[in-house]
Amino acid sequence: MTEREVVVTSDAGVHARPAMMIVREAMKYPCEVKLIKEDVEADCKSIMSVLGLAIVSGSRLVIRANGEGEEKVVDSIVSMIENNFTINEKSAEKN
Amino acid sequence: MNENKILVKNFLEDTGVIDLQIRLVAGESGIEKEIRVGDINRPGLTLAGFYDFFAYDRIQVFGLGESAYLRQLSNGQKRHVLEKFFSYDVLCCIFTHNEEPDRMFLEFADAKGVPVFITRKDTTRFTSSLVYLLNEAFAPTVTLHGTFTDVYGIGVLLIGKSGVGKSECALELVERGHRFIADDVVIVKRIDESILMGGGSPMLKYHMEIRGLGIINVKDIFGIRSVRDRKRVELVVLLEEWVQNKEYDRLGLEETTYPLLDIQVPSIMVPVRPGRNIPIIVETAALNQRLKKLGIYTARDLDRDIQDSLMKEKANG
Repeated sequence: MTEREVVVTSDAGVHARPAMMIVREAMKYPCEVKLIKEDVEADCKSIMSVLGLAIVSGSRLVIRANGEGEEKVVDSIVSMIENNFTINEKSAEKN
Repeated sequence: MNENKILVKNFLEDTGVIDLQIRLVAGESGIEKEIRVGDINRPGLTLAGFYDFFAYDRIQVFGLGESAYLRQLSNGQKRHVLEKFFSYDVLCCIFTHNEEPDRMFLEFADAKGVPVFITRKDTTRFTSSLVYLLNEAFAPTVTLHGTFTDVYGIGVLLIGKSGVGKSECALELVERGHRFIADDVVIVKRIDESILMGGGSPMLKYHMEIRGLGIINVKDIFGIRSVRDRKRVELVVLLEEWVQNKEYDRLGLEETTYPLLDIQVPSIMVPVRPGRNIPIIVETAALNQRLKKLGIYTARDLDRDIQDSLMKEKANG
C-alpha cells in the first residue's frame, strides 16, 4: 500500500474537469486508488465519487493505492494536484 | 469531522423533516454550541436539589412539572435554585406546552449563554420528535461506493468494482419504472438497531455518470417519478465479473448476508458477463426478497415437496 498526503491549492478546488483528470489518471492503473478527505473515502476511478468529496482549495487529501502500479499512480496524482492541474490541462487541451 | 458537527443552531432551528415548533427566547450567544450527546434530560430532580448524575451536556426539556415547580418557588428560593443550575455548563433548555419561563430564568440564561426555546408541542410528542431527530443526526454513517435504487419497493444496493455496470443497470431499472436514489456515493445510516437508511450526497443529487455519455441528471431526463431521496436498505446485490469455474449459487437454499454497520443485510452475488440481462435479475431478486419477507422461501419449499414425494415413492415401492 502506498499513501501520500497533499493539500489542494488550486483556487477553484476540484470541480468537474480536474475530477475527470484525476479519474483518467487513476484508470490507467489496475490497482485500487482511493482519495480520502476527512475520513470520507472516494473511489478515484469514479468521477461522481471524486466530485462528491467537495474538495475546495485548502482541503487536505490522502491518496492511497493498493496493488500493481500503486507508487506511480500516487506520485502522478499528487504531482497533478501540486501543480494545480495545469500541466495536464494543457495536454488535455491538445488532445 | 468538522462538517458533521451538530450545533444547537442548525439542529433546533432548521430540522428539515419534522417541525419542532420552537422559538428562541433567550441565550442567543450560545446558539453556536455543539450538541455532542444524542440524549435528552428532564431536569426535575436537579431543580429539586439532586445534582448527582446531572446530564447538563444534554438538551434539557422542561415539561409542565418543571415549569410548575419553578413557579411555586419564592424569588429567593428560585434565585438559589437557578444559580446552582446555571453554574453547570448547561447545553440548552426547551420549555414545552408553550410555557414561558419567567424573567429571572431568562436573565440567567442570557448571562450564561444558554439558549432557551419554547415549543407549542406537549412534552411527550415533543420528546419523541426530538429523539427521532437526534437518532437520525447521531446515527452511525458509512459512505459506500455503489448504486442505490428502489425496485418494487425494496431498497436494492448494487455493489461492485467500477466498470462492472452498476450505473447502466440502474439506468435500465429506471427505464423499467423503478426509482433511482444514488449513484457512486451512497450514504448509509443506521437509524435503528435493525434499520439502515440509504441516500445520496446532497451535492450530487440525482446525478449519474454513464461512460460515453458523461454526467446525466436522472430527474431531468426521466422525471420526478424516477427518483427518490432515501430508502431503507433491504437487499445488497454484489455484481462481479463472471469468474470461470467459480461456483455460483444455483439453488438459493442458503441465505447470504452482507454486513453494513454491524447489520447483516440479505445479499446475492450476481456474476456479470456480456449479454446477461442484469436488471431483470435484480428485479426478480427484489420480488423474491419480498416473498421471503412474507415467509415464502421458494428453494426450501421446492426442496420439501421433492423430499415428500421421494418419501411417498419409497413407501409405495
